[in-house]
Amino acid sequence: MRNVDKLCLAHFWVAFGAFLIASVLGTWQMWVRSPLGANVGTPGQYFMSVTAHGVAMAYVLTTFFIMGFGYFVATTSLKRPLPGVPWAWFAYWMAVAGVVVVLVPIGMGQATVLFTFYPPLTASPWFYIGLVMVVVASWIWCGLMFIAMWEWKRANPGKPVPLAMFGTVANALMWLWTTVGVAAELLFQVIPAAFGFVQTIDVGLARTLFSWTLHAIVYFWLIPAYIAFYTIVPRAAGGRLYSDTMGRVTFILFLLYSLPVGMHHLLMDPEHGNGMKFIQVLLTAFVAIPTLLTIFTISASLEIAGRLRGGRGLFGWIAALPWERPTVLATGLAFVMLGFGGFGGLINMGYGMNAMVHNTSWVTAHFHLIFGGSVVIMYFAIAYEVWPRLTGRDHLSLGALRLQLWLWFVGMVVMTFPWHWLGLQGQWRRVANFNYADPIIASWGPFVIVSFGGGLVLLASALLFVRNLYVLHRGPSADVSRPLYALAVHPPRRVPAALNGFGLWNALVVVLMLFAYGYPIAQFVIAPSPAAIVHRVR
Amino acid sequence: MTDHPNTQSDSHVHDQPWRTWATIAVIGILAFGVLLGAIVIPVVQGRGAGLDAYTAICRALGILPGSPARQQVPDRSPPTPVSQVVWTPEVLQILADAKPERGRAKVLEVCSSCHGEQGVSAAPEFPHLAGQSGAAIYKQLHDYKTGSRTNEQMTNVVKDLDDSVVADVAAYYAAQPKRNLRLSTLAESPKSIVQLVELGDPSRSIPPCAACHRPGSGGPIETPILSEQGNDYIILQLKNYASGERRNDVYGRMRVIAAKLTEDEIKGLAAYYRAGFH
Repeated sequence: MRNVDKLCLAHFWVAFGAFLIASVLGTWQMWVRSPLGANVGTPGQYFMSVTAHGVAMAYVLTTFFIMGFGYFVATTSLKRPLPGVPWAWFAYWMAVAGVVVVLVPIGMGQATVLFTFYPPLTASPWFYIGLVMVVVASWIWCGLMFIAMWEWKRANPGKPVPLAMFGTVANALMWLWTTVGVAAELLFQVIPAAFGFVQTIDVGLARTLFSWTLHAIVYFWLIPAYIAFYTIVPRAAGGRLYSDTMGRVTFILFLLYSLPVGMHHLLMDPEHGNGMKFIQVLLTAFVAIPTLLTIFTISASLEIAGRLRGGRGLFGWIAALPWERPTVLATGLAFVMLGFGGFGGLINMGYGMNAMVHNTSWVTAHFHLIFGGSVVIMYFAIAYEVWPRLTGRDHLSLGALRLQLWLWFVGMVVMTFPWHWLGLQGQWRRVANFNYADPIIASWGPFVIVSFGGGLVLLASALLFVRNLYVLHRGPSADVSRPLYALAVHPPRRVPAALNGFGLWNALVVVLMLFAYGYPIAQFVIAPSPAAIVHRVR
Repeated sequence: MTDHPNTQSDSHVHDQPWRTWATIAVIGILAFGVLLGAIVIPVVQGRGAGLDAYTAICRALGILPGSPARQQVPDRSPPTPVSQVVWTPEVLQILADAKPERGRAKVLEVCSSCHGEQGVSAAPEFPHLAGQSGAAIYKQLHDYKTGSRTNEQMTNVVKDLDDSVVADVAAYYAAQPKRNLRLSTLAESPKSIVQLVELGDPSRSIPPCAACHRPGSGGPIETPILSEQGNDYIILQLKNYASGERRNDVYGRMRVIAAKLTEDEIKGLAAYYRAGFH
């Protein structure tokens, strides 16, 4: 096995190891919140578990997966050796050390602040320092991705950068922009407060800086799924990508419109004017466009595949698609979840409707459906495609893979649909338990139990996923030299420089961010708001 | 594919419309948003609320407080604080600057006869102070000083003390070694009492004691740590809260909770907090 293959696998195993532990914790949380598990565990234990679950799923699974996938894409799509492999290993070990530094205070009960950074509640400073280490490691990864694309462009002047790499670099660039907000919050506000250097903290500023990060970070997690949609799925279905340009425009739009929109998480906050909120909500609406472009392009690509396989008529091509292939199946299931999740997202985005669902279970259900559902199921699909190429072994049968994907889909739907409904009933989120003796809350009971059932199915799927990978590792060596990346219907010979690099778009991000966050952040300096007392772990 | 020598310039020419139109589109959308969100909507909304255009726009941008769509409702309810302690940055700084060594002199002079030199009290009706939160001691002493809490002895002792001396005394006792939780004796408490401490009683809207009174829990900073307290002291305080005789708890939190506790629960909780530590 080549060194770079080991590098990718090392990242993936940390990602999916964290995923497995977090799945167990998540199921336990569903249980203790349900009438079946009432009075099990203390609130302290619950928040400890939620913190570990959130950190493992949102930071460890995603960051390690994305870094590993990035290295894979850089070597396979550019067909060049990865630059700076020792640096990549250094970043890997730094991120692993960061995860350990995060886990210790969580395990000691000194970090029960969930995975969001909303002071004045603070955790042990080491919790934050560990996360900063993970982020700094990911910055090294960003640098390596830029260098890889740069070197390729220098060796191939005028040629279009392969779409998979273009998407990866767009993601790396967006990630650098994204992490500025949370890095500023942690380094200048939260960590000094957690250490006790300052007694008070400006909560409004902290929330604003975190909002800079917290929406774009979701797109950071999402883009690998989109890279798979554009570059892996059409080939897996036996067709071609309908439009390469559409893919480039999609990644560029994500870069532009995932950043200046985070304030839609602060619609109910008092520290910003309505006009500023309006501007960011309007820009948020434009984030829907790359998703709609993708649905259109990938459906068109699949239609090409379906018709090549003999599908006829308006819908006959759908039935003709090779649904027995895990990647195709995962894409279909992801699209269904993306449809429902996207619809829920439109509700969250609207000022008036957001007021109705604010801080209810609706929000939790929404991000589980769209991230845990659509995105993570594509992580599975990518893992199933990439693993044989990294290990030189192939899946012996696809049945267990399909079962795992179906279980994930069914579990996610059964878990999140009642959860959305409970949010509409007013069930609040971020609480450890419910008083089912109250008649109104008692009426939620059945929905919570069904939701927990979905959680059990998800746990079964998570176990099966890791088992499938384990079985592959034990399997016989096989020839897996089949191509991975899809060709476009009209493979691009030359693309405008604007669609082959990020200079212009980076400049436009500066303009958008200045307008969206310039005054909202400056106001905390111009007219500081009353600060809150820091609550520290004693 | 053949590489023409003029590939670079070709793509540059090809690139110009992209550059221009993308910039126009992105800036245009932004300008549209600013025009609508920061000017048109607030001005129209403000007209309905009787606000002039300038005020409405400033409110939309967040330069002035309030909504561009409504008159600001004046808040005229006069404050009636139950305690004069306000956790301003200045007060927190006094606490942060407090020196245990300075507090020790005052402790030996006035406090130690009842509360002990190391914060272990001479009699069960006096609270132990060893390892107590400094903010909690400061709050109570300050309340005695301002009359928010009354006790013949304590009021007399504290009334002439400076805030910084109060903070020093608080810091001294806070620095004394804490006694640790002894799990074996906790098991001796009845299950109902342990449940009350750990989970509260949601059916009576009683939150768990441990939600605030355990070290590291998320309560307000003035919350005392309820470890190793004498039986009698806790019983007396819970009864005083229940009757309203003691009333220096912000928002009446403890008065509300204590009034819901039964006589047996008060005794049980007092025994729990005495037995659980050594």
